Amino acid sequence: MSARPLQAQDKLAFLLSLVPYLIDHEDVSVADAAAHFGVTEDEMRQAVQLIAVSGLPGDSAAYLPGDLFDINWDEFEDNDRIVLTHSVAIDEAPRFSAREAAALLAGLQYLSSLPENADRAALTSLMNKLARGASAPPSPVVVAQARVDAALPVLRDALVARRQVEFDYRDAQGSTVRRTVDPLRLDSDDESWYLRAWDHGREAVRTFRLDRITRLSSTNRPVSRGADEVALSDALFETSAADLTVVVEVAEAALPLLGDYLPEGTRTRPGTRPGVVEATLRVGHYHGLKRLATRLSGMVRVLEPPEARTVVADWARAGLAAYAGPEPTPQGGP
Amino acid sequence: MPTEAVPVEERLFSLVLALVATEHGLTKSEILSSVQGYRHRYVPGGDNASLERQFERDKDDIRELGVPLETLETPAEAGNNQNLRYRIRKGAYDLPADVTFTPQETTLLNLAAEVWREGSLSSESHRALLKLRSLGVDADDPTIGYAPRIRVREPAFEPLRAAIERHLVVRFPYLKPGESEPTERTVEPLALVKHEGRWHLASFDRNRQERRTFLLSRIVGKVTTTRTAFTPPEEDVAEAALADLDRILAGGRVRIRVAPGSDAETRLERRAAEQPAPGELLLNYSDSNLMADELASYGPEVVVLEPQHLRDRVVQRLRRVVADHEGATR
Repeated sequence: MSARPLQAQDKLAFLLSLVPYLIDHEDVSVADAAAHFGVTEDEMRQAVQLIAVSGLPGDSAAYLPGDLFDINWDEFEDNDRIVLTHSVAIDEAPRFSAREAAALLAGLQYLSSLPENADRAALTSLMNKLARGASAPPSPVVVAQARVDAALPVLRDALVARRQVEFDYRDAQGSTVRRTVDPLRLDSDDESWYLRAWDHGREAVRTFRLDRITRLSSTNRPVSRGADEVALSDALFETSAADLTVVVEVAEAALPLLGDYLPEGTRTRPGTRPGVVEATLRVGHYHGLKRLATRLSGMVRVLEPPEARTVVADWARAGLAAYAGPEPTPQGGP
Repeated sequence: MPTEAVPVEERLFSLVLALVATEHGLTKSEILSSVQGYRHRYVPGGDNASLERQFERDKDDIRELGVPLETLETPAEAGNNQNLRYRIRKGAYDLPADVTFTPQETTLLNLAAEVWREGSLSSESHRALLKLRSLGVDADDPTIGYAPRIRVREPAFEPLRAAIERHLVVRFPYLKPGESEPTERTVEPLALVKHEGRWHLASFDRNRQERRTFLLSRIVGKVTTTRTAFTPPEEDVAEAALADLDRILAGGRVRIRVAPGSDAETRLERRAAEQPAPGELLLNYSDSNLMADELASYGPEVVVLEPQHLRDRVVQRLRRVVADHEGATR
């Protein structure tokens, strides 16, 4: 394994990609080229300078001028424009690696669930081209089509058209309120979709789960705030104050199943029996904890505080009560 | 270590250029003595061991980028490492001329790259985008306001992906749903498949001598990559595994009653195959223990109506939770 930082490889990929672009664009400004590649203007200038002094060793291994790339230095230094005047060895875009193609292919498979990508033929042709553009067969990473909420296309259209939408929203506690919002961004996290929007009633940015949205309608009213006017963080939920401390006993083998409840670096202590450990978790409320403890029945036991134990025990007891009545009648055939 | 005056990317770039330009290939000593980044440190007739190791690493890095760096053996001197020749065939390096992308396709590829927010998939898809930019096509739609993403939380993902590519047997501790102790598995890893929101490993289990699919979230310890190589099957394993997972999912069915307006209803309604009666849902499941875990977690919001074995599993889980949480602990 190479201990070298990844950056050098990325820079090489950038250089190999930049050369054919500069051959195709005979005269381009540093600013335009930087914007096209999504790099800073300084990074673009550095790359051009490096290319301009690179080339082939040549017969004498002296890297003589005719064996090197060259640019119009006056244009570059005086006008910040790139004009490649001589090139060597490469002139076409490099192929994708098997892993690069695989990453994009799996991403496309995921996007194929989106309603606007319903044109299967177009997507299949794109995927075939990607696979043909790879230097080796793409590595097998496959994403199955996911379900998409019916609200998604409506919200997407409203977002693009910059129109307000209205909907009923049921919160986690079960109460439903009609909301009027300016859609700002649609995020997905695996199977779940979220809308971030400016909530007119609350005069603040709120995150809504799409599966809790009903009676959605788009309006003709333009938004009061566009996505470009509101700063959104990449994190879907601002970390709320997680000020409740809970001590749990966990079967050692089940520790990885705790997921986000056990942030990396959380220390565990030996438990009172072999095979179990104890950990202190911080949670925002007990709602998620009772679900966790019942999902990992026999693997996770809440030890402290007593209130948390009661919440978990009550949750399971209430669940059991529903089974105390008469057996349900079977529904006929399988 | 001597200080390195030439930046790494300049050395790698010069090496690629030199190897593309050569028709018959260059030997290692030709490369080390002439190519920018090596030549200043090359000692003619002396010890160049560290420079040779550097070259070996550089070759790996270049190949990892998808550049087809070939090794040619001189037939008369097979086995003599010093006479191996290296080159990059331009035809294998260049993106085929008919592989071009429309602005619309470029938009879609940009979005596909954004799907990965973490790990190597993220850096690789961004590198692929750099190569895509090489073609000079701009996206037709900046796709502002759209951020679909797939999470890869499981630490087993990266080592398994590497082992799949190198066709190497792996070992890992696996906690089978419904069991409380992990068992050590030795498998030939074949494909990674995301299905129903979960990452799966499609593999050939060496001990059981058959195809097995594992949940990545249930690999509860380190993945050990062995040095044992295997020959991967010819067919499209990923598609076969996906079809298999679909078939298994279609095979298991549970009828539940769900509390109206509850969180469970919100989450389960959209997954339901059918709604046989008001307040009732029919759900498909792949693994009865995992399904029982999930349904138990909804507490009073869900009641399993049938099948009986799943009803029993949920009741057994809830009883255990009550028993574990009654009274004082210390």
